[in-house]
Amino acid sequence: MNPALTRRFIFQPLIAVCAAFLFSACAQAATRVADPLAQMRQPDGVVVWQQEYRFVPPPLPWQLIDLDEDDYSIAFMKICSEGYPCQSTLAYAEEPFGYSLDFEERQTEFFKRFLWASRVTFAPPELRKVKIGGREGLEGITIGVEPVLKHKVRCKILFFRRGERVVAFYYTQWRSEEKPFDTADEADFDRFAESFDFLRPSFYESLFTQTP
Amino acid sequence: MEGHQRNLFLYERLNARVAGVSRDQVDTLRYWTEEMGLTFPIFSNPIGHLGIWFGTLEEGYPMFSRKTVVIDKWGVIRYVQAGSPDFREILTLLKQLHEEEAER
Repeated sequence: MNPALTRRFIFQPLIAVCAAFLFSACAQAATRVADPLAQMRQPDGVVVWQQEYRFVPPPLPWQLIDLDEDDYSIAFMKICSEGYPCQSTLAYAEEPFGYSLDFEERQTEFFKRFLWASRVTFAPPELRKVKIGGREGLEGITIGVEPVLKHKVRCKILFFRRGERVVAFYYTQWRSEEKPFDTADEADFDRFAESFDFLRPSFYESLFTQTP
Repeated sequence: MEGHQRNLFLYERLNARVAGVSRDQVDTLRYWTEEMGLTFPIFSNPIGHLGIWFGTLEEGYPMFSRKTVVIDKWGVIRYVQAGSPDFREILTLLKQLHEEEAER
């Protein structure tokens, strides 16, 4: 150990304290990547992602996007020909907003933070218990309104578990207030979620079962 | 901070505690932590000496830069990492420290 790092600290109670200095960091702008799935695609069309996940990606014109933030693991975006705000996003999130391990509590925490920077006011979500790839889950569907720009967004979130942690699939579709939503994109999302599977235990599942 | 809150149940299992440090005033932090739903302590250090000690106070910049510090049971700094926290690294280290503690 570096002796320069060896210091005493007065208010540390038990074995270890993580002191986190922060306050910054907002989502970076989405960046498009040119066909990054080609090398990962199996003959049957299934994509194997970093030996961690397998899924059937949504069809073109959905594009894989890099949101450059830790909360998203995989995300796709589809932009309409008419342009902003007409777009849809679907994602698998390893760390959805919120903290609770209970689905009901988690969705409350989640919708308090989701699209927070877009100043969206959500209607209370419609909740129902669902099966996602054979796993118990909770579906939350709601519509949010951005009153200044007069945009609306339909959101469908599927909470389920990987090990004991809560993970989620996200779907959002933005439209101008007067335009109807397009249900085809949501069907793509449903197929993506249904096809999704894990290829190995997560880091968190392995943490207490493996020796260093 | 959200990531730490999400991992609190794992920190508990590893006999670890988490605390944040900020240059904001107590009232600001109280409002912010309530709004965020954070349940672990955030220390207010407007003077900034903690930032000087840990090298997170850059000259001419009023806020602490982001840094994670892990201190073991015996007060020894075992990990310092600037930038966003790497929770896998942190949890792996905490597990190691927990095992060390059991061996002593």
